[in-house]
Amino acid sequence: MLEIRNLKKSFGSTVAVESLDLTLGEGEVLGLLGPNGAGKTTTVSMITGLVHPDSGSVSIRGEGSPSSPSIRRHIGVAPQTLAIYEELTGRENVEFFGRLQGLRGKSLTERARQTLETVGLLDRAKDRAGKYSGGMKRRLNLAIALIHDPPCLILDEPTAGVDPQSRNVILELIESLRRDGRSVLYTTHYMEEAQRICDRVAILDHGRLLAQGTLGELVDGHGGRDRLTVVRPGGDVEQIETDEPLTALETMREKGPLERFQLDRPNLETVFLNLTGRQLRD
Amino acid sequence: MNETFALAAKDLRLLLRDKVGFFFTFGFPLVFAIFFGTIFGSEGETSAIAIAVVDEDGTPASEAFLADLSEGPELDPVIYPSREAAIETVRRGSKTAFVILPEGFGKSVESVWRQTDEGGLVFGIDPSRRAEAGLIEGLLTSIAYRRLQDVFQNPDRMVEQVDESLADLKANQGQLGMTGPLLTHFLGELKTFMTELPGSGGDGGFAFQPIPIRRDDVVLERLFPKNAFEVSFPQGAIWAVLGCAAAFGISLVVERTRGTLIRLRTAPIRRHQILLGKALACFATTLAAQLVLLILAVAIFDVRPNSYLLLGAAIVSSAIAFVGIMMFLSVLGKTEQSAGGIGWAVLMVLAMIGGGMIPSFVMPTWMASVSQASPVFWSIRSMEGAIWRGFSATEMLVPCGILIGVGALFFFLGSRLFRWEEA
Repeated sequence: MLEIRNLKKSFGSTVAVESLDLTLGEGEVLGLLGPNGAGKTTTVSMITGLVHPDSGSVSIRGEGSPSSPSIRRHIGVAPQTLAIYEELTGRENVEFFGRLQGLRGKSLTERARQTLETVGLLDRAKDRAGKYSGGMKRRLNLAIALIHDPPCLILDEPTAGVDPQSRNVILELIESLRRDGRSVLYTTHYMEEAQRICDRVAILDHGRLLAQGTLGELVDGHGGRDRLTVVRPGGDVEQIETDEPLTALETMREKGPLERFQLDRPNLETVFLNLTGRQLRD
Repeated sequence: MNETFALAAKDLRLLLRDKVGFFFTFGFPLVFAIFFGTIFGSEGETSAIAIAVVDEDGTPASEAFLADLSEGPELDPVIYPSREAAIETVRRGSKTAFVILPEGFGKSVESVWRQTDEGGLVFGIDPSRRAEAGLIEGLLTSIAYRRLQDVFQNPDRMVEQVDESLADLKANQGQLGMTGPLLTHFLGELKTFMTELPGSGGDGGFAFQPIPIRRDDVVLERLFPKNAFEVSFPQGAIWAVLGCAAAFGISLVVERTRGTLIRLRTAPIRRHQILLGKALACFATTLAAQLVLLILAVAIFDVRPNSYLLLGAAIVSSAIAFVGIMMFLSVLGKTEQSAGGIGWAVLMVLAMIGGGMIPSFVMPTWMASVSQASPVFWSIRSMEGAIWRGFSATEMLVPCGILIGVGALFFFLGSRLFRWEEA
């Protein structure tokens, strides 16, 4: 669906993206994970044709680069910034961008209704977007990306600044889109979201791709060992790293009675820490 | 093209939802046109010059002079009790000038054959008000001549004047030399003539007038506004145009700062369609605002364009010019505040020098020349040309051509300089 080869972009002396290779398969959710300033938005900008790369290529469906309007018709974009007209109603927003995608008449009206229903805004469709809550605006931002039923979605931090309820609605929606066979490129700096919805994750930092793979591959390759913590009667705490937590726990128990224990398995946070020496939210 | 219309329709809808923007596009120019049209007088009236008058003579002649002074529309005389009070009120600026009719004025103003230093009219004014000084002096002289005319038209008073003059001549015989006997002879003959004149004893005299003047009313081709609204409404239309240019110039920056430009650019449309959509919305609004204003001007304020066709050409040309300027303004600021500030600063200067605030025909000569550098001047000129200057189609080519050229140039510059990418 989406193929990125040796993509590079610099702004002055600052390298924003350096030699990036990525692929997004059909029906796949690819997470682009990295802290703020990692190069995620610049990558998205090059994929959507907003910014011209210094070198390298982006190909959508094998048909060409997003600089061509006809190629951009295959993608739906939800920018990190809330790109909606607050003076227009939810329906007017969706219908306006539908017209830009070539939809007209009854098909536009019906498609707008479906999209608003999908994101849970049908009952507020006649209200001006300026009166929506932050979470509703995020959902409208997503609805506009979906209006023309594109096979590929580029979602740039679609849950930024929303309440847990709206975040859950958005994540459930992305999961349903994956079930429908759509490809999704999803940028985030929330590790939990990437773990929940992404088939594969690419970790970016300072414009460089540090690692990519499934969650299991990344944890196995860069997560390190499980960490077992035991607490003995009287409050003494012992901690060991191990590849065999059950065996290790049995060994600890044989040494003396245990009051409680805790097993910390490696996750994307650990992967990122091991790859960069920093926490993801640093 | 459908996408371009969709973009334009969206901007028009946004304008309608923005009450403040809508007011400054449609409401403010109307208020401007009505306000200034009313102030400058819908019937072309000018206010009378206020003067302070003191009658120290108190004779029927001085009272008649005062009555004549009040009769015309040019002066608004107010009687003051003393010379000092009249001078003080002029010094403070409450009145433009003072006129004193001193003791002996009545005798002096009706004296036909004698020259006397006594009773001369005293007139004072601020030296900086030369135009008013000339006008007032001319009016005073004219009224004084009218008093003389009255004397000439009344044979009995004329005979009195001749008798008084003969008495003076007799008293000053030695000083006049050879002219004394000649004047005595002439006045004697004149007295005989006036006494035997048919209708003597009443108003049967002859009118004295240095030169006969006949006034004919001639129907001229209109080269002046019929009323003040024919001046104020083109100016109001300009403010509508400026309001549109400012609002839409900012709206492109707003699209960028609020992120919707990203959305537009990722849509399957070309960049020029985005700019054309904005230009089309600005053009339609500018046209509509001018049309609404001029329709009201015709329907309610008695504005009667010489040519509706040429007026149409004028407002279309103005719209084209300011759509181009709007596009150029949109690249001058990075934020909404800076774009708005720079935009209005530029437009205000264009309006000030171009006759958007005060009509160019009342500007000093040098200022009127400078004003031609502003498209506002050509915009007003084209509208006035169609309304009251009586421009032919050929004459309209100059202002309309300049406006279209300005629009094309600035649209090109603006679209070339527009920053599509953000670092």
